[in-house]
Amino acid sequence: MTGLSLGEKQFIQGGIAQDLRSDGRKRLTYRPIYVETGVIPQANGSARVRMGGTDVIASVKAEIGRPSPLQPNKGKVSIYVDCSPTAAPMFEGRGGEELSTELSVALQRCLLGGKSGAGAGIELSSLIVVEGKVCWDLYIDGLVISSDGNLLDALGASIKAALSNTGIPRVHVVAEASGEDQPELDISDEEFLQFDTSGVPVIVTLTRVGRHYIVDATPEEESQMSSAVSVSINRKGLICGLTKRGGAGLDPSVILDMISVAKHVSEQLIDRLDSEISAAEAIEEE
Amino acid sequence: MEYVSPEGLRIDGRRPMEMRKLQAEIGVVAKADGSAVFEMGNTKVIAAVYGPREVQNRSQQLSDQALVRCEYSMANFSTGDRMRKPKGDRRSTEISLVIRQTMEACILTQLMPRSQIDIYVQVLQADGGTRSACINAATLALADAGIPMRDFVTSCSAGYLNSTPLLDLNYVEDSAGGPDVTVGILPKLDKVTLLQMDAKLPLDIFENVMQLAVEGCKAIADYIREVLSENTKQLEYRRGL
Repeated sequence: MTGLSLGEKQFIQGGIAQDLRSDGRKRLTYRPIYVETGVIPQANGSARVRMGGTDVIASVKAEIGRPSPLQPNKGKVSIYVDCSPTAAPMFEGRGGEELSTELSVALQRCLLGGKSGAGAGIELSSLIVVEGKVCWDLYIDGLVISSDGNLLDALGASIKAALSNTGIPRVHVVAEASGEDQPELDISDEEFLQFDTSGVPVIVTLTRVGRHYIVDATPEEESQMSSAVSVSINRKGLICGLTKRGGAGLDPSVILDMISVAKHVSEQLIDRLDSEISAAEAIEEE
Repeated sequence: MEYVSPEGLRIDGRRPMEMRKLQAEIGVVAKADGSAVFEMGNTKVIAAVYGPREVQNRSQQLSDQALVRCEYSMANFSTGDRMRKPKGDRRSTEISLVIRQTMEACILTQLMPRSQIDIYVQVLQADGGTRSACINAATLALADAGIPMRDFVTSCSAGYLNSTPLLDLNYVEDSAGGPDVTVGILPKLDKVTLLQMDAKLPLDIFENVMQLAVEGCKAIADYIREVLSENTKQLEYRRGL
């Protein structure tokens, strides 16, 4: 992104202070969101989300695996984000690795809960087939095709949409096995179980510019931020994860205020996303 | 395994000389100078062009022509089994080189000395013929970026299975072990810029297969021309002409 002149910077800051951003939005308004599901037919579930100029694709692949011995009654989920060089020339070769890692870790923190698997946004115990022996491993891959600010929110939304689109094949245990042996499985090609995504959280990033917070920042606005807090909230209003970025220190009362603003915004975002996702699924079924 | 049935139908129901369904869209990546999505059947590829812009690495600067760079990467979810390493492996490096050389032949690099043109190709879905789809997408993206070119470069693959030349192989046919001929041409100038083949083929059959691939390239060139003129009409309309 090319640099901003002093006049442009003051324009952005002044506009945010007056609740009128450069593209005409209010501080807490999202850009138009477009959701398409089933974009990757080879995957168990996939979705593409566009927020303004930001374009991301998420795909979910399910493979049979062994549960970890520490948590024999839970499946495993891994999230990995890749920044494609089509989004920006600086992502060429290994240039995008730092941002990819930052996004992957932030998403894992927001969606997967603690080390014991407790409090995960995704219900891990529903991925178990045979306790202690066989479980589903979900591989969630995100790809950033075009970057126009607010990548974390777009990725969170696309993962939620991809999970709604995911069908886990039904598994029948053909032969029981004792001890360390793996039981024989019959994986159905026909029947699929839809994943329950009512508990999956969305991520709302609040960017602080001056003394006000904005939602869904463009790259120009992000360059003017003093700090940003990304909160992941689910439908019940429970906070599933929190990340603070940016060097400026924040007063704890400010953080609590930002969290409550995020909660308020997330209700509208979840409703909007759910309606977009069901519209996309309806189009896909036709 | 039978790749061509006695009635003359392939695994996906096509005739031997039939190409897969083509679909292209221009201008998908807002930030790029030019971009395009190209689909050949289930193979889906996105290309973005950044440039001409200032050379990032001064030591690579060329005083009389533009520097063309290319990177090919596959998404994790593009193949049936999930890939661990999206880029940097040998196949990706080779394909990046191939695309770069092919596009460099058609760009009028003399008009833009001391500058750099970056072509980034990302494979979203791989079902055979990714090399060709990437070149076709790169052509569209370069046209969208307004970079001066001698001619389009279009590319198509052809093979030979069950004693039949087949056009536009998909992944299953490609992994059958038969020959795979990839051809890239400049359609108006009628010149071949890319020719690659693996496995063995008798010389007279090779001529047939290569001719078939060239026909395929010409058909793609017609389609690309159509897409670009449609795009120009849209741009004119938006400008109010």
